[in-house]
Amino acid sequence: MNTIRRVAIIGGNRIPFARSNTAYAHATNQEMLTATLQGLIDRFNLHGERVGDVAAGAVMKHARDFNLVRESVLSTTLARETPAFDLQQACGTGLEAAMIVANKIALGHIECGIAGGVDTTSDAPIGINETMRRILLDASRARTAMQRVAVLAKLRPGMLIKPSLPRNAEPRTGYSMGEHAELMAREWGISREHQDALALKSHLNLAKAYKDGFFTDLMTTFKGVSRDNNLRADLTIEKLRSLKPAFDRKIAPDQGTLTAGNSTPLTDGASAVLLASDEWAASRKLPVLAYLAFSEVAAVDFFEKKEGLLMAPAYAVPRMLARAGLTLQDFDFYEIHEAFAAQVLCTLKAWQDENYCRDRLGLEAPLGAIDPDKLNVNGSSLAAGHPFAATGGRIVATLAKLLARKGSGRGLISICAAGGQGVVAILER
Amino acid sequence: MKTIEIDQPASRAAMYLGALLSSRKHPGTISALPEVNYVRPRVVLESAHIADYARVCGFDQEHGVPITYPQLLTFPLVMAFFRSADCPWPALGTVHLANRIEQRQRLSPGDALRVEVRTGRLIAHERGQIFTLETQITRGDELVWVASQMALRLGVTNPAGPAFASELQANMPLSHQADFSAPGDIGRRYGRVSGDLNPIHLSALSAKLFGFRRAIAHGMWTKARALAALMPPEAVAQARVAVEFKTPLYLPARVSLWTARDAQDARFEVRNARGDKPHLRGHLSYH
Repeated sequence: MNTIRRVAIIGGNRIPFARSNTAYAHATNQEMLTATLQGLIDRFNLHGERVGDVAAGAVMKHARDFNLVRESVLSTTLARETPAFDLQQACGTGLEAAMIVANKIALGHIECGIAGGVDTTSDAPIGINETMRRILLDASRARTAMQRVAVLAKLRPGMLIKPSLPRNAEPRTGYSMGEHAELMAREWGISREHQDALALKSHLNLAKAYKDGFFTDLMTTFKGVSRDNNLRADLTIEKLRSLKPAFDRKIAPDQGTLTAGNSTPLTDGASAVLLASDEWAASRKLPVLAYLAFSEVAAVDFFEKKEGLLMAPAYAVPRMLARAGLTLQDFDFYEIHEAFAAQVLCTLKAWQDENYCRDRLGLEAPLGAIDPDKLNVNGSSLAAGHPFAATGGRIVATLAKLLARKGSGRGLISICAAGGQGVVAILER
Repeated sequence: MKTIEIDQPASRAAMYLGALLSSRKHPGTISALPEVNYVRPRVVLESAHIADYARVCGFDQEHGVPITYPQLLTFPLVMAFFRSADCPWPALGTVHLANRIEQRQRLSPGDALRVEVRTGRLIAHERGQIFTLETQITRGDELVWVASQMALRLGVTNPAGPAFASELQANMPLSHQADFSAPGDIGRRYGRVSGDLNPIHLSALSAKLFGFRRAIAHGMWTKARALAALMPPEAVAQARVAVEFKTPLYLPARVSLWTARDAQDARFEVRNARGDKPHLRGHLSYH
């Protein structure tokens, strides 16, 4: 029987994130993940090393990339004997990967591991037309040439120009993520002004972090890009106010509050973090940034019970706090993934709402407010962009470094994910 | 105060002939407005007409009787005043500067209402003389809807009354909320439903006769169209809305709606497509 060990976060690496169809328009998930892993390997001198496990994933994935992570590992200078696997939990992928690797380390199954994620919405997997696909499959099953001709005769030219495109929509509701977030903003009465203010703060905080050189040892340049190209350092509240709501047509025409400015754009990018046992870190003389102390996942019924699609972190956090014996105020940093400014603001409002905390979260008292100056202090997804599976790695590395710089403290991570899921964690030092 | 009851609104022809004839009036400065009250003792809200109005202005069925709809009921009274000897100025060339509406009770089709428009105050404006017309609508003993509109007669020197002061805060930070189109025929469509067939709204040609380069939208249409986007999707009981008309909206046009909202309150402007010139500024609150 092993004892449970602390899991150290040694460091992280990511490539700068790029808005969809910009700098990485022709980059594949494979290339981006490989470049990101190699950057991490270079930084911590892992050349030729057999790492215990590498877990990563992508939300938007080609069928040919079934072994995306292992193929990337094989393209790096890690030992070829390094195992790897793919996983996917929508926007929670990166943090879930870190949790799984961390758990293996905690249980002593491995000494070190890498967790990460990558996504591209530029190099999207376009499928052939669904009817056409079935005809082609039928044709491949045909036994005679005549049968094959008869099946193929059903093909129509129109099928070529109506491919099957990936959609950023919930299969059970047909609403896009933005439409769900708009519904939540309406339910919680989150104003446009608050959303724009949060978006502005994200950009200003990220710009300041770049200026301070915070990301220097968390990032490697890729395709000539050296910082997130969604960042607008000169963004103003007036510019944000000038944008028109983008997701209100089906929800409440002309009454929307979510715009392209206070929602994350589709983004390409990749991230990875290096996790290890204290012993492994000490043996390599690698300083520990922080420890991954707790994690929790939750899911909500956004379909029958009509809970907000992105409200699962509101459920996950109090459950994790109860296990950790902490209150919401016991943190020095809060990293709440900004899928939409409205998602962050709904979550914070929910934690202060007595009825919601009692009736939905089953709490005796509301979790209460947080100090807004501790929230996403180096910017978050609104400014950096949000390559779905890569966001977790970005946040873990950022928060771990924040804690390392502070010397000691505690940070909370909250990430919402498609399908009504939430992935949360606590980092300590 | 003199009260004039109008049971049957004048025919449109008579109304416009009157309006045109009223153009012969050329008063200078006046010291007081004659005190007169025009009354339609019984007007029944017709659902078909409300539906026509709602369609032209962009309201949905769920809005119920649009808050701006009762304004239409006052129109024959306002026109009667303009063509009467009691009104010092002609109808044409008097600018609708601002108006304020307060709905105190929810209205429903079939309601029998008493509509009164009386002369109000004189207010001095840097460009001429403002006078107000005060509307009140009652249902039985209940005051259900009140409004005040400010008309500006341009070019009156030494206007009487206290100096005009805007009730609406300018320079409020507003956010781009929506875009909508003001189609080329909206002046004719709104004219048909409202009865306000002022030629400046009807066609480029008729507008040119009165010094406008193209037809301009009715201010009350622009206001109603903005409110259609701002009102909650329900028949609210109480609401207030005040607007000031800033610049003419030449037709056809794409316009943008800018707002600052909280739960039951919206400050708003209808601006040009680029969002840098206001046509109308307003403040709405409801519960």
